[in-house]
Amino acid sequence: MATVTFERVTKRFSQDSPLAVTDFSLEIPDKEFLVLVGPSGSGKSTVLRLLAGLEEITEGKIFIGERLVNNIAAKDRDIAMVFQSYAPYPHMSVYDNLAFGLSLRNVAKEEIRGRVEDAAQILGIKELLKRKPRALSGGQRQRVALGRAIVRDPAVFLLDEPLSNLDAKLRVQTRAEISKLHQRLGTTFMYVTHDQVEAMTMATRIAVLDRGLLQQVGTPQELYERPRNIFVAGFIGSPAMNFFDASVNGSGGGMELETKQFTVPFPDKRKKELAPYIGKTVVLGIRPENIHDREFQPGGLRAGYVKATVDVTEMMGNEAILYLLVDDKQFLARVDPRTRARPGQPLELALDLDAMHAFDGETQLAIGG
Amino acid sequence: MARREPSTAGEAAAGAAPRAARLGEALNRLARRLPLHVSVIGLAAIWSIPTIALLVSSFRDPGLVVTSGWWNAVKDPFEFTFGNYETVLERQGMARSFVNSLIITVPSTMLVILVAAMAAYAFAWMKFPFRNALFLVVVGLLVVPLQMTLIPVLQLYVNLNDWFGFLGNDMPLLGGRLFGTNSYAGIWAAHTAFGLPFAVYLLRNFFGGLPRDLFESAYLDGASDLRVFFRIVLPLSMPAIAALAIFQFLWVWNDLLIALILLGDPDRAPMTLTITNLVSSFGTAYQLLTAAAFISMALPLLVFFALQRYFVQGILAGAVKG
Amino acid sequence: MIGRRWFVPWLWLAPALVLLGIFLVYPTVDTIRRSFQDEKSHGFVGLDNYRFIVDNPQPLVSDTHVALLNNLMWLTVFTAITVALGLIIAVLTARVRYEAVAKSAIFIPMAISFVAAAVIWKFMYEFNSDIGTVNAVVTSAGGDATRWLQDTGAPQTPITDAGPDTLPNPIQVNNFALVFVGVWMWTGFAVVVLSAGLKGISTEILEAARVDGANEWQIFWRIIIPNLSPTIVVVATTLVIQALKKFDLVWVMTAGRFETDVVATLFFKEFFLRGDFGVGAALAVVLLLWVVPVMVISIRRFQFQEETR
Repeated sequence: MATVTFERVTKRFSQDSPLAVTDFSLEIPDKEFLVLVGPSGSGKSTVLRLLAGLEEITEGKIFIGERLVNNIAAKDRDIAMVFQSYAPYPHMSVYDNLAFGLSLRNVAKEEIRGRVEDAAQILGIKELLKRKPRALSGGQRQRVALGRAIVRDPAVFLLDEPLSNLDAKLRVQTRAEISKLHQRLGTTFMYVTHDQVEAMTMATRIAVLDRGLLQQVGTPQELYERPRNIFVAGFIGSPAMNFFDASVNGSGGGMELETKQFTVPFPDKRKKELAPYIGKTVVLGIRPENIHDREFQPGGLRAGYVKATVDVTEMMGNEAILYLLVDDKQFLARVDPRTRARPGQPLELALDLDAMHAFDGETQLAIGG
Repeated sequence: MARREPSTAGEAAAGAAPRAARLGEALNRLARRLPLHVSVIGLAAIWSIPTIALLVSSFRDPGLVVTSGWWNAVKDPFEFTFGNYETVLERQGMARSFVNSLIITVPSTMLVILVAAMAAYAFAWMKFPFRNALFLVVVGLLVVPLQMTLIPVLQLYVNLNDWFGFLGNDMPLLGGRLFGTNSYAGIWAAHTAFGLPFAVYLLRNFFGGLPRDLFESAYLDGASDLRVFFRIVLPLSMPAIAALAIFQFLWVWNDLLIALILLGDPDRAPMTLTITNLVSSFGTAYQLLTAAAFISMALPLLVFFALQRYFVQGILAGAVKG
Repeated sequence: MIGRRWFVPWLWLAPALVLLGIFLVYPTVDTIRRSFQDEKSHGFVGLDNYRFIVDNPQPLVSDTHVALLNNLMWLTVFTAITVALGLIIAVLTARVRYEAVAKSAIFIPMAISFVAAAVIWKFMYEFNSDIGTVNAVVTSAGGDATRWLQDTGAPQTPITDAGPDTLPNPIQVNNFALVFVGVWMWTGFAVVVLSAGLKGISTEILEAARVDGANEWQIFWRIIIPNLSPTIVVVATTLVIQALKKFDLVWVMTAGRFETDVVATLFFKEFFLRGDFGVGAALAVVLLLWVVPVMVISIRRFQFQEETR
């Protein structure tokens, strides 16, 4: 049970290589489930390993609780880690795998037995205790990895992409179980993944990384509704947000965003944010779920309208995903399943103006919000 | 559906032809493959003949060996005797030599595994300056001919005789000196050292192939380097260690030169040395020579047959040392 | 790993480094030094010992030219025959079902000592055709029995007649007899390694070639050999090292007499029997010089492997 604090942590692997992690600062309160998310190469695993003590910090400080742990060996940091490949000791039984860490610390045999069996109970692997890892399925091995961590009763739980080796169905199931585990144990969790769905569903807070830099930290809802920059906006949410280059026209009291393909008015109450950008380029962002088939648009929607041609339709049952083209520019919309859109046919779309995002064309930062 | 009876002779003949053709085809195939089988079996036979000749001769009467070819022994009357083995074991000291060979070989094998494993672990999983360069040097030493090392080593041992002379010349159990020329410790050290380049190379490659996660997980669990070494690395490396053990065992067991130079006392001579002496004194007494040779071969052959798989794996894993 | 003190790796390396230093590194340096000194390693004599080897002033006592040429012959002939035989056997055994057994039979000689092999083959090569198997076979086929280990004669061929008259001719019957024993012992190694390499060639390539109409001979030369060349290099370099180190075999069978000396046996004679440390050391250095190019090849290969790891 502890807080984790990163203070301007930087990591460089060797003299000539670029920085893997740059100036990373983050405070994780006790009991939080923090997900580090980002594309591959973003440095998220590196951050995790720096916390674990598997890599040395180039600059900056890491605190677990009140302790500065920069130079403390991994085994003394009171953390446990679940590796992507689970790393079970192949020549030991499941029981011995779980007991290994404790036996190294000369914990009494009865206590080891107690803790191992408790963990096995929680994870539902009690019948597997005598088997060797090679006789287990992927999902079972993963539980063994989790069990090893639970048995240690650490201050912080680290997980490095634990679901990526599982098949889709198992992944969904295990996601829920890990969340439940977190609630049950009440320990701080730090979880790394490249899958933003996992991040959104499991995290209390999400930290988004890109190329070694922290882009934004916030609750899933915050990241979804108020992304700080284009990267976060495009990363969170699936299918991803649509982006259009636009220029700002302020004429006659109203304000419009004019893209190459269409022009939409901008809600009055947000006019102030755009004022400085008149005449400049901005990026208009709108999520597919905020674009509706005009025929079925929700009542009371403040909308801007766009005519486009339907390219591909994906009927999902509860909704339809449309790939639309306007003047060679493709964008996506998630619409009512009753839509009559057909490939090759024109369709009129209603854009939810209140849900539009605008980003500075140069800095990529969100405007307003 | 019932088979239609051939209603004409022509149809009957047509039905018989396919069966004959199949048989002919099979014979044809065998004939084509015959040269292949003959050559392979022939080669294998030729290769085994010398060893078989040895075995057969060792069981024959001295008088017979020098007058008739060993192949005669396989026909009637079967004349087999253990006399040669008795002579060689008791009177020519082969029994003592066998024990000496064991005393020399077993510790050398165990030592080389231990020392090489420690170094290989450091090379594979620890960071330190000059790691790669040092490893290349160690492996490069693989090709230094023994001849380059023997003069100075012998000189060193002679010096050790002087320095440690005060320890006396009679070690309990093993007899003789502890260090210096004609000492078991001396020859163990030498064999271990000469076996290191290959051993370190082999083990380092194997250790390096173990998954990194395993080590990180163990470190996190609180294992020290020693614990990881004994409880994870060694158990998982048994195949490589077995291959190494076989190589070293065979190499030391069959060594002549090192024993010749560093171990002069006939009391301590391994079998290779004893046989060499037999050859020079009994040049044509083949019945004795063959028996002696076979005794020296028995154990390696046994080891080889039992553990062939590991031997082959070991060869394929790296260059074979000289 | 954080927290590991800087000297820990060196502790793990220490026993190995110490042993290697004492038994391999120091002696190499020391032997090189002695090669420039006199026979008891007292005074400095410059290149005299090397000149001795080149000039060969005492051919009846220790014929250095014979030894050098014989080594050259071993290098080439032993390696070539073993590789060729190994290749042929590997290819042949790959096609029969009892492959493993056949390979084992060929491989057995590797387990026995050179000394035991020497005994076996002394027996086989025995002049008396009642005892010596080889001569028995030869005479029953109508030929004459030969003193295999002592015959220094050479087959009269244009190649062997072409050399200068003052140099001894290593193409001798007894040399070949010795080489064949070496071949007998090491072909198994070649077979094992080449066999594994052979299995690494994807069968699809071979099948494609057959479909394209190539016969077995063409497939052998134009597909198998090119694909196998890295493996062949591995085998060849190992065999060359073996050839250069050859001592036991020659020593026990002929003690280097009848012009079968190699550098290694000559070394032994000079060093131990005549007590001339200087010449002995110089001979050892010669061996080392021959081995260095092989070392370079091996290391280059290793570095290449490292990069692809």
